[in-house]
Amino acid sequence: MKTLLVLVTFLTGLAVNSQSSYQKGMTKAFETWANKNQDEAVNLFERIAKAEKENWIPYYHAARILVVTSFGLKDAAIIESRLKKAQDFLNEAKTFSKDNAEIFIMEAILNTAYVASNPSKYGMTHSAKVEELYQKAKVLEPENPRAVLYHAEWKMGGAKYWGKDPKVFCPEIEKAILYFEKESSRDEPFYPKWGMNQVERVQQNCN
Amino acid sequence: MKPTLTLFFTLLLSSIVAQTTITGTVTDNKGIPITGANIYLDGTYDGSSSDENGSFSFTSSEKGTQTLIVSFLSFETLQLSKEITEMKNLNIVLKEDVNSLGSVVLNAGTFSAGDNSKASVLTPLDIVTTAGSAGDYIAALQTLPGTSNVSEDGRLFVRGGDASETNVYIDGLQVFQPFTATTNNIPTRGRFSSFLFKGTNFSTGGYSAEYGDALSSVLLLNTIDEPDQEKTELQFINVGLGAGNTQKWKNNSLSVNAFYVNLKPYQGIIEQRVDWIKPYESLAGEAVFRHKFNNGLLKIYGGLNYADFELIQEDINVAEGINFGLTNRNLYVNASYKGSLGNDWNITTGASFANDYNDVKIVNTDVDNDENSFHFKVKLRKRFSNRFKLNIGAEQFMVNFTEKAEDPGFDTFRSSYDNNSTAVFTEANIFFSKKLALQVGARGVHNTLVEYTKVSPRASFAYKTSSKSQISLAYGDFYQAPQQEVLKYNSVLEPEKSSHYIVNYLYQNNGRTFRAEGYYKQYNDLIKFDTEIPRFDSSFSNNGDGYATGIDLFWRDNKSIKNLDYWVSYSYLDTKRDYRNYPNRATPNFAATHNLSLVTKYWVSDWKSLLSTTYNFGSGRPYNDPNESVFQNQKTRTFNSLNFSWAYLISPQKILYFSVSNVLDFDNVFNYQYSNTPDVNGEFSRRAIRPTADQFFILGFFWTISEDKTDNQLDNL
Repeated sequence: MKTLLVLVTFLTGLAVNSQSSYQKGMTKAFETWANKNQDEAVNLFERIAKAEKENWIPYYHAARILVVTSFGLKDAAIIESRLKKAQDFLNEAKTFSKDNAEIFIMEAILNTAYVASNPSKYGMTHSAKVEELYQKAKVLEPENPRAVLYHAEWKMGGAKYWGKDPKVFCPEIEKAILYFEKESSRDEPFYPKWGMNQVERVQQNCN
Repeated sequence: MKPTLTLFFTLLLSSIVAQTTITGTVTDNKGIPITGANIYLDGTYDGSSSDENGSFSFTSSEKGTQTLIVSFLSFETLQLSKEITEMKNLNIVLKEDVNSLGSVVLNAGTFSAGDNSKASVLTPLDIVTTAGSAGDYIAALQTLPGTSNVSEDGRLFVRGGDASETNVYIDGLQVFQPFTATTNNIPTRGRFSSFLFKGTNFSTGGYSAEYGDALSSVLLLNTIDEPDQEKTELQFINVGLGAGNTQKWKNNSLSVNAFYVNLKPYQGIIEQRVDWIKPYESLAGEAVFRHKFNNGLLKIYGGLNYADFELIQEDINVAEGINFGLTNRNLYVNASYKGSLGNDWNITTGASFANDYNDVKIVNTDVDNDENSFHFKVKLRKRFSNRFKLNIGAEQFMVNFTEKAEDPGFDTFRSSYDNNSTAVFTEANIFFSKKLALQVGARGVHNTLVEYTKVSPRASFAYKTSSKSQISLAYGDFYQAPQQEVLKYNSVLEPEKSSHYIVNYLYQNNGRTFRAEGYYKQYNDLIKFDTEIPRFDSSFSNNGDGYATGIDLFWRDNKSIKNLDYWVSYSYLDTKRDYRNYPNRATPNFAATHNLSLVTKYWVSDWKSLLSTTYNFGSGRPYNDPNESVFQNQKTRTFNSLNFSWAYLISPQKILYFSVSNVLDFDNVFNYQYSNTPDVNGEFSRRAIRPTADQFFILGFFWTISEDKTDNQLDNL
């Protein structure tokens, strides 16, 4: 009996062990990122994604870091290599989660990064894509705070360019805040939940 | 018992968690350490990143044969399978990804205009916003070096070749009548609307074995794979009206557009040199349907075009002029499929069909002709690695032509032929490194009408001399069957032949591009005849020959001055040929020695306006004066034209467009026509061949209606 107990405990321990290696790995990756070690974090997420199979979340975060860090870079070749890799990760993510609003939103931000890096080269070609991706995301999840916030920011950029008032999109930000608050009750581990801290930055257009 | 059991489990546990340490270094092929590469065992959490010395070390409890994966940006991912205990002090050398930015490109002879192509010197938008092009993509290509400005024709004359030496393809399939029907000295335009295309490759020589039956040049147009969004586009122009619509559903999309042109109101206001009886009127409709499969993409393109005009052509020999009328109907259908067959095999296949019908009246002669053309192609591509790819393909061409000429003065004259040919081609693409690439291929063609079989080799080579520059070389033999005007009377000739030798230097740095290309082109077996134009009673031969040599320069800069983008093209051309009814080798009328284009585009943010100018210069063009003893030894005055256009964006989706050609009103002369017989003083009198009007004005309004309200038609202008 005792033997059995030991055996059961041991096997359960193994199972828990393998479950928590995802937890541990993801936690470590987020920590690495928080410590400004972005490229290392991308590598960690990539390793987790490859080991997990069929889980879109680590791919998503790997892509997210590459996209976010490409804003503000200068060298066109480096920007392109990072965004290309990010697109590859998102493509992988899509094969495991087909109609996923979060992936569409990240793809929209990725295309925005192209436009920001070289507006005269990518402005005409990528703008319509950005728009379409936000629309797709909003159809799937009308109350997704990231879709609402980043779409509003994108439209504000367009309005400013055309000499129009960006403030007409300010109510959208209010909506986004509301949706962020609702969202915090969601409890899937490592599911995208970020963005609340970006509200203030976007809101500067409303002052 | 108990201690034994505990010991047993302890041993078991420790054997499971027994760790193997995996160590090594990652470098590139020059031995320079790579920092930040991702190294891990496939399917496990075990891995690490390489440090600043390229070294890595991590532990794993895995056993047996494992796969180690090493990946890094801009490098090919490496996989290594071996016994885990042997994974110590590994020396891992990553290969640079030859598909990444900064790799050498095989570009000799080619101008590519696309969004993502590394060799891109122009974007599709650049083409259509070029002043003076009036929305015709062909006209915009004439600002690139290697082309001669032949404004009274409108087609592409490349490096001393005449317009029939350039073939046009849409999605890899031939377009048999790419230009709208016209007559002598009335310029033509491309038949297709520019907004359906996402990329253009314009090769002025040395092109791939995939393309044949063109002595000088190929123009490859690729249609959009997937439109970005649903939209409606409306165009109101002083010479016509247009409308287009795009719909998307599931894996399908459909774009349709129609355009109506009537020059009558315009010509009522602006005086013309030509006496139009019925000004040019045309109606064109196009549709593209696309369907995405899991592993492929199907595109079907259809275009129908109807045009009609009648005029009195001035002629030095006929005082009252020559009455010429034409009605043309053209149908073009093109279906293509590209997809993956798995195992790194890809297939591209498709067929195109064209029916072209002309009803021509020249004074009392009535000529009706009808041409059915068909092209089928299948191409397979095997990717052995990123560094070695092989293409093989086969194509079949069928052309059926019939013509009936009726004149009260003679019997009805009928002619017809079937011009069928079969071709096979193969080409290998080899990247020795990110710096050195080679493409070699061959094309074999058998023509059943003219009964010949020819094999032509093609090769190109590129070497990157620094991170910003490269040199490339290209060589190729090219054959072309005789043209319709000859084939309808004679089919026992040989094909015409050319050989290209090209050296190219390319420098690209942060918005600045410099490209210089030198070439030599040898012509053999050019067709000759002993009458002014080919006739049923002409005697034909392949005894002609010739050469063309020159230098093409291109400079583009969109960085030095804010909001200004400009490019300069210069072509030097030295060419002579003995063909058609020439008594000896001479420079043809279409070949000016110097051609220069300066294109500028200036974006004025405050005005939301794109101001474009294009200046074209051409040195005098040779013409023949029968009063002189030497054939073709006179030159016209130089050609000058300054074109201007202004696109004003009223709102993101509404554009007001104005353009005027030849702002400074230069008086240009293209050629002279001499009388057939001398006058009383023994002199041949002449008339100048000049533009139908010195200037052309366009005023238009373009309106796009779409969900996102940002897309517009700048790329249509």
